[in-house]
Amino acid sequence: MKVLMKPIEMIAWFPKEGVPIPLRYRITTSDDTNHVVKVHKVVYKEEEKLAGNRMILYRCESIINNRQKIYELKYEIDSCKWFLFKI
Amino acid sequence: MEEKIIFHIDVNSAYLSWEAVYRLQHGEKIDLRKIPSIVGGDESKRHGIVLAKSIPAKEYGILTGESVYSARQKCPNLTIVPPNYEIYMKASNSMMDLLREYSPYVQRYSIDEAFIDYSCHRENHYLDVAYQIKERIKDELGFTVNIGIGPNKLLAKMASDLKKPDRVHTLFYHEIKDKMWPLPVEKLFMVGSKTKRKLNGRGIFTIGELAQLDPDYIYSWLKKPGLLIWNYANGRENSPVKNSSPPVKSIGNSTTTSFDVDNKREGHMFLLAISEMVGMRIRELDLMGDVISLSLKNHQFYSYSHQKKLDIPTDSTNTIYNISKKLFDEMWTGEPIRRFSISISGLCSNDFCQLSLLEEYKERDKALDRTIDRIRYKYGYNSLIRSCFLHSGIKPIIGGVVAEEDYPMMSSIL
Repeated sequence: MKVLMKPIEMIAWFPKEGVPIPLRYRITTSDDTNHVVKVHKVVYKEEEKLAGNRMILYRCESIINNRQKIYELKYEIDSCKWFLFKI
Repeated sequence: MEEKIIFHIDVNSAYLSWEAVYRLQHGEKIDLRKIPSIVGGDESKRHGIVLAKSIPAKEYGILTGESVYSARQKCPNLTIVPPNYEIYMKASNSMMDLLREYSPYVQRYSIDEAFIDYSCHRENHYLDVAYQIKERIKDELGFTVNIGIGPNKLLAKMASDLKKPDRVHTLFYHEIKDKMWPLPVEKLFMVGSKTKRKLNGRGIFTIGELAQLDPDYIYSWLKKPGLLIWNYANGRENSPVKNSSPPVKSIGNSTTTSFDVDNKREGHMFLLAISEMVGMRIRELDLMGDVISLSLKNHQFYSYSHQKKLDIPTDSTNTIYNISKKLFDEMWTGEPIRRFSISISGLCSNDFCQLSLLEEYKERDKALDRTIDRIRYKYGYNSLIRSCFLHSGIKPIIGGVVAEEDYPMMSSIL
């Protein structure tokens, strides 16, 4: 997997337990087209607080261009931003 | 009485480590700690000094506090990143939270240093605990620390400075002779460049040589501060680990201007901008002060200062400004100025104050200051500014590193 750290637009589900679950996101590629990706499955998630900055890391699975892909998303709690971290 | 166990936790190249970890978390591929790099101020604004350096940068002989320009000459491929104090506060706060899990006595000594009193918790061996803290900070927060362990705060602090990075050191009384005395005298806490010169001038080069002097001799020569460092050299110090910060003795702000100020009007504007900050801070702490001092640094880096004692204590921005303006007019000889600082001391509580028959008491000014403060805290510092700053290129409120947060400053009081 390669580190991308690209900001994305996200639709997430905030369950009662409190940790948001990513459902569907939109990514703008370099040629300015938008792609919507449905998150098929969250394989695991973990919280990190490197340098005191809390982020939740999600390892996810999706079908992208008819191929099953594993990648990582990050949610930055302080700024409420979502990123495509690694793919 | 059993010996106390004090830990001193010191973040290794704090600003740089935090910057590096934050950048790695945000997808940066290069670890700043592994390449020659510094956190440096903005040269175009003349804040260009080295705030922190990586260990590879240290190998080029780069020193904290020197100019970015000379650092770049020592190492042409140096990576320079700007400081980001909000990240550093966050990192520092999360470290303090982690430390508080180990003892109720945690003293934040500066943004990147803390003391812990671990005397009461004898169920776990202190060395195991120190290693555990060090490893947890590395794993969870991503940066490394040095931990010094000693029977008092001074020795703990000296121990954490022994060998860096990512280490635990002890310095108990029986170890002073081997571990502390061979060090050069300027390594001792409170011995700065001027004291070093004095001591070196009389043939004292190591901490051990200082420790073995006759206290009467050192008192007759360096007076009370001399006795203090003599006691420190012998490892004697007994201040408690304080949870709260020490009482404020003075409040001041300063700025290095981005251009040399050579006219009265601009000088006064800088004074007003700093007075706004000093006034806001003193009112926030519910204090008043009756000594106002102004210090200037000219284009040849020569500093001089004047101060004035007031008849009645004040917390008013206008009074602080007017007094510093008067001081400025008295002391300024017309040469270009690069740095202004204003501070107010002689502090007392603002509960009540003795008024003077000879001076006017401006109750309306007080109400105005309070109202302005409230508006600024609610809607941001720039929500309400004085009109003279419009289109002037001078910021209307100057001073401090993190405008919004309480930034723990360095202190010479243990």
